[in-house]
Amino acid sequence: MGSSVSKALGKLFGSREMKILMLGLDNAGKTTILYKLKLNKIKTSAPTVGFNVETVSFKNVKFNMWDVGGQERLRPLWRHYFPGTTSLIFVIDSQDKDRLNEAKEELYSIISEKEMENVVLLVWANKQDLKGALKPQEISDFLELGDNLKNQMWCVIGSNALAGQGLVEGLSWISTNTAKK
Amino acid sequence: MREGDMQGYVEPSAIRMKVSKSFDDDSSLSKNNSNVTSGDFDSGVGMNTRKNQVASQNITMNNPIYSMKAKFGIRSPSVPNFQDSLYSGNNNSTPILNNSRRFDPGINKNESNNMDTRKYWKENADVDSAKETPIDNNKTHDDPAMSVIDLYNDDDGYSRNNRSSMGHQLEDYHLESDDEEDEDSENNHESSEMLAAVSNAEFLPKSITLNRKELNTEHCDRYGFKKKNNYVSEETYNAWWEDYSGYCIRRKHKWLLLLQKSGLPVHNDIPVRFPPHSEKLKRYVRKGIPAEWRGNAWWYFARGQEKLNKNKDVYSNLLLKMGNLEDETQKGKIQDLDVIERDLNRTFPDNIHFQKEAFSTKEPVMIKSLRRVLVAFSLYNTKIGYCQSMNFLAGLLLLFMDEEKTFWMLVIITSRYLPGVHNVNLEGVNIDQGVLLLCIREYLPELWTEIESSYNGYTKNTPNNSANSKNLFLLKLPPITLCTASWFMSCFIGVLPIETTLRIWDCMFYEDSHFLFKASLAIFKICEPDLLKGKPSHRSFSQYSLTNTKQHRSNACQDDYDMQMFQVIQTFPKTIIDPNDIFEKVIFKRRLQLNRLDQNEIDKCRKYVAVQRQKHKNYDDIIGKLGNTSPFDEKSDEQNLHGGKFIDNSINILGKDLKMTSEMVNEALSSEVYDFKRGFSGVNWNNSIKERVKHMRKKK
Repeated sequence: MGSSVSKALGKLFGSREMKILMLGLDNAGKTTILYKLKLNKIKTSAPTVGFNVETVSFKNVKFNMWDVGGQERLRPLWRHYFPGTTSLIFVIDSQDKDRLNEAKEELYSIISEKEMENVVLLVWANKQDLKGALKPQEISDFLELGDNLKNQMWCVIGSNALAGQGLVEGLSWISTNTAKK
Repeated sequence: MREGDMQGYVEPSAIRMKVSKSFDDDSSLSKNNSNVTSGDFDSGVGMNTRKNQVASQNITMNNPIYSMKAKFGIRSPSVPNFQDSLYSGNNNSTPILNNSRRFDPGINKNESNNMDTRKYWKENADVDSAKETPIDNNKTHDDPAMSVIDLYNDDDGYSRNNRSSMGHQLEDYHLESDDEEDEDSENNHESSEMLAAVSNAEFLPKSITLNRKELNTEHCDRYGFKKKNNYVSEETYNAWWEDYSGYCIRRKHKWLLLLQKSGLPVHNDIPVRFPPHSEKLKRYVRKGIPAEWRGNAWWYFARGQEKLNKNKDVYSNLLLKMGNLEDETQKGKIQDLDVIERDLNRTFPDNIHFQKEAFSTKEPVMIKSLRRVLVAFSLYNTKIGYCQSMNFLAGLLLLFMDEEKTFWMLVIITSRYLPGVHNVNLEGVNIDQGVLLLCIREYLPELWTEIESSYNGYTKNTPNNSANSKNLFLLKLPPITLCTASWFMSCFIGVLPIETTLRIWDCMFYEDSHFLFKASLAIFKICEPDLLKGKPSHRSFSQYSLTNTKQHRSNACQDDYDMQMFQVIQTFPKTIIDPNDIFEKVIFKRRLQLNRLDQNEIDKCRKYVAVQRQKHKNYDDIIGKLGNTSPFDEKSDEQNLHGGKFIDNSINILGKDLKMTSEMVNEALSSEVYDFKRGFSGVNWNNSIKERVKHMRKKK
């Protein structure tokens, strides 16, 4: 009830705000993506201990993006901190085929959590610039999202954080698909 | 003896760490550079370390690791001794660092070969060349990697393809002069030497690229970190450094006097022993240990030698074990290895000592050392294994001391200064965050009200049985602790600029872990104005009296503010480029309450938080069980018939009492409020007495 009112207000003023959680295995490129979006710069990034949070504005939408550190053992630190997340971005290293399965498991364990019930899911098949990277379609097939996700809208987009390809597309997909809700 | 051992261990480990190519590199490197190394030694740069060098020279020739190291071992100022002593024969000796400060070893990511040549030419120019130099010359040019240099021009392509690249910064190279002007005459000598080297290099066919790269090192600070980052521009850095370097020289002078007075020898500008603890020394440490002494001073203050003496050969045995790992293929440990492997090249990607050469598969020596230390540690302490952030701790230590010492310092840090913080369950982090919150509540009450109110908004959404508990924040930590957790885990590396971090490390080793809390509070204190600036002023009003819809807007306001707070906490520390901002403005201000914080207090506080968390957990477990059993109540009607009545009744009773017990437990838990020591030392005020005194005063 309350949230619909605030959304109406947001539409009235032509701007919206969104809390986005960006997850993925370590070394998938989350921080690089975040700073490419924020500063249009490639920051030589080190493993994120803790998290980075930045506001990215795009087409009247303010994205509050949370980029959370990847190592498995650090996940309990942030797991329960994100109520009110409107959309989830899951970043996958498309070249790292050995860990695709791990990524898939991680994705499903997150998306099945209660707080994620109504999120919009965007998967960035990152590192498309690297040789031997799986195509977004292949990643999508592998993740079998269509078979398994019932509530959530989802989309897999190929991306190359270094060049910035696919990033804007991803955000605009999120903004159009959350507006309809 | 040891260096022999090392030679034996290290190579196998290098092979087995899944980086099979590195083995080939090792061997080729060693062939190519064993002579370069010795040439290196005769160059005038490491003037004060000649004794060690001579001692190690014969080893050098046939020790591949050492010679490999030498590639990076171009000694410069204040910078890294690069595991010298470990391989140099006099094992117990201290890191080799000479006292001049500037002129980084231009070991840029793609430059170590260059540096070798440069060294070589410099040598010819200034020092009479050693016998080996002709061979040296050949070898250097034979080095296949030499060919790389020309390709290096193509740095645009490079920066695109290489994630750890700083290619785009290469364009603006120019000589900065401010860096050389500090310290003493030796430095001047050195810089002129350097210039000679440059001009000499001009005669080389590759002179242009050489020059270019040489200058590129000017973009790095004295530890090899890039000066510029997203928060500090290079101009800002240089402007600050001009002042701060002067400060460093003055401090060093005072240190020298202090050591002299205490009758402690300073051989070759490398003191090994330091005066006993005293208020004076504490002040000296707080004002900064000279950079080139840091390795030794930390080692001394953390009582590293004690630890090492008790555990002789442990590290080398671990390296042996590491070599055997592949045969055993222990799966649990392999997992750690993978994580370590992924993090190695992401450790200090903008530090030249950790960078790969362009187009080369050769791994920087630092990375190899880092791998050995981290893997050895994960074998040594299986409770901890490997936890992200330890790569930074070890990496920074490696810049100041050799591998074995780094290993033991890592052991000391993870056990003494940050107990449990890196454990698998991360309980230590949570405890420390709880302690920090208590400290904030005590010493920065204004900030605490903000944290608390944003926290209340946050807990509203997550229904919890013990939500009334005053101490709930100790169990379910406020989101803000996600930020501060990393402060502790990596001891401020990457959180604060490097010089500031190092000053805190100085104090941490001298004053123990409470200084980490003090530093955190100091950071909060400095950015408090920024943090409080945007607070939603009408919050208290709207929270209680506005209607539902409007309250929602105020919630959005709160969200905005939370976001802003996060950004300040995340960004602000990165701009504290001048360590004295923290020290002069906060730590040295005796009147500030937070400076009363001492180790005793922190130890007590840690115990308190640990106990509270345990109690909350036990309590939550009970509640959880009851919660789970309550649906059974209805089902168990059938069981009643079968004689399960007794158990059932007890559950019912518990269920009825649930509310009451929860209140009781909450009261019990929150009544155990932690008391900070206040006022005069030794007098420990009891809160309830204080309350009574207040009451009495009011009545009067």
